[in-house]
Amino acid sequence: MKIDQNKCVGCGNCVPVCSMGVISVERGRVTVNENECVECNTCYRTLRNERRNPLLVRAIRWGLGHVSLAYDPEPDVCPTGALMPLQLAWPRSLRAVFSDPTIKHPSTGVGGRGTEEIKSNDVTGRLRAGDIGLVVELGRPGLGTRFRDLQSVAQALAEAGVRFEARNPVTHLMSDPATGTLREDVLDEKVMSAIIECRTDLEHLPSVLATLQEAARHIDTVISAGVSARCGSRGEVPYVAAVEGCGFALSLNSKTNLGLGRPLFAETSPVAETPA
Amino acid sequence: MTNTLHRQGTRESLIRDYVIFLHPARGINRDGSGEKVRRFLEMALEEGPVNVGTAGRNLYTVDDVRQLVQAVDDEATTVAATFSDPEKLRRLVKRLKEADLGISVNISGLADVVDEILRSQGLVRHSIEHSLGILGRTERLPSQQVLELTTMCGHGMISHNHARKMIDWVKLGKLTPARAARYLARPCVCGAFNVDRAEEVLARAKELG
Repeated sequence: MKIDQNKCVGCGNCVPVCSMGVISVERGRVTVNENECVECNTCYRTLRNERRNPLLVRAIRWGLGHVSLAYDPEPDVCPTGALMPLQLAWPRSLRAVFSDPTIKHPSTGVGGRGTEEIKSNDVTGRLRAGDIGLVVELGRPGLGTRFRDLQSVAQALAEAGVRFEARNPVTHLMSDPATGTLREDVLDEKVMSAIIECRTDLEHLPSVLATLQEAARHIDTVISAGVSARCGSRGEVPYVAAVEGCGFALSLNSKTNLGLGRPLFAETSPVAETPA
Repeated sequence: MTNTLHRQGTRESLIRDYVIFLHPARGINRDGSGEKVRRFLEMALEEGPVNVGTAGRNLYTVDDVRQLVQAVDDEATTVAATFSDPEKLRRLVKRLKEADLGISVNISGLADVVDEILRSQGLVRHSIEHSLGILGRTERLPSQQVLELTTMCGHGMISHNHARKMIDWVKLGKLTPARAARYLARPCVCGAFNVDRAEEVLARAKELG
């Protein structure tokens, strides 16, 4: 994100809205720390452009200041439309792809973080009976992550024997999915969050979760982790005892696939392949 | 939409917080699904959601809710509706079962309440996902009060600083909790931000001072 310095009137409305807290006001003008900006475009989308004349706004602000009053626009506007999303080149373009939910991931055709998880498991069968899915989202909530941190977690999980989900945007960035190694040119890019999706089974779940806990100690951000599975024929959740046995508390809330998708995936048929 | 999985809060607060979403699957039933997605949105809107999101817009960024339905094209991926009343959700699930749209439907919310709603409609959950909590540098995170607000937008569009500012303005009397909640809803493009619940969190913050 860039700020048009000819238009910016320094009202500061974009400062708290910034998802990464990297916009600041210096000498009456707003600046963006580009190294830390994840190109989520939240400021641009959230603040309505009032299209006011910058010279007029500055004059009003100056006048109000002289009578000890503050220029105080509504908190959801950019009075002059000074915010400018950029055309991004590789690898910086990854920042927007992983941070702006209005952009569909080219690798999966899905918006948000680009993952399917269990959302369509009733028709894709990507998680079958006996599979345990892990959803490891680095950077969330609200801190962001560099791909270098993500790689260190992915490599640890690979050593623990997980299988990375092929139809996942992070897996597409791996130069070696067997080891969880990412392309070198993406490692310093920062994104709002990115999700490692992988599979294991009940037997190996405790060692994989222990690996995840250890890997989380060596990163500079946070991980929101999730676990998923195909339910039993009566709706049973297969991983409850295994997860709680590892010292994790399952959340009160869950995401539930209702099984209303068609054609319903049949467990006896091969895994549904989605075109890349 | 892992986003809706990691909402923070007590059971008493989460009991009024459900996100239902439709997810066409690429290569299976997405092609030509636009009409079904629009039908889902129409049914959801008739049941009185507190938020709806589609095509990068939500209930609080459009002038007319019909714009949300019209914005859906055949390339639509996930669309969502958020409810604070589980009985409204139950009615929508009943209608979706009858409509048989053939597109995957998911609900995020208290696991036992969602399970009971499904069973009351003769459905058995197909797949499930739980949060395991937050690992890593948790000392960098803000207060629980702030997280209760910001985690309602799972894509992270609502910043911690924005939530802090709205809490401060409510405490100062510059904004009512209802108005502050609507300001916070604007960045959440997927419509998963529960404005009713946010209003409760902000009102509680004001009471606590």
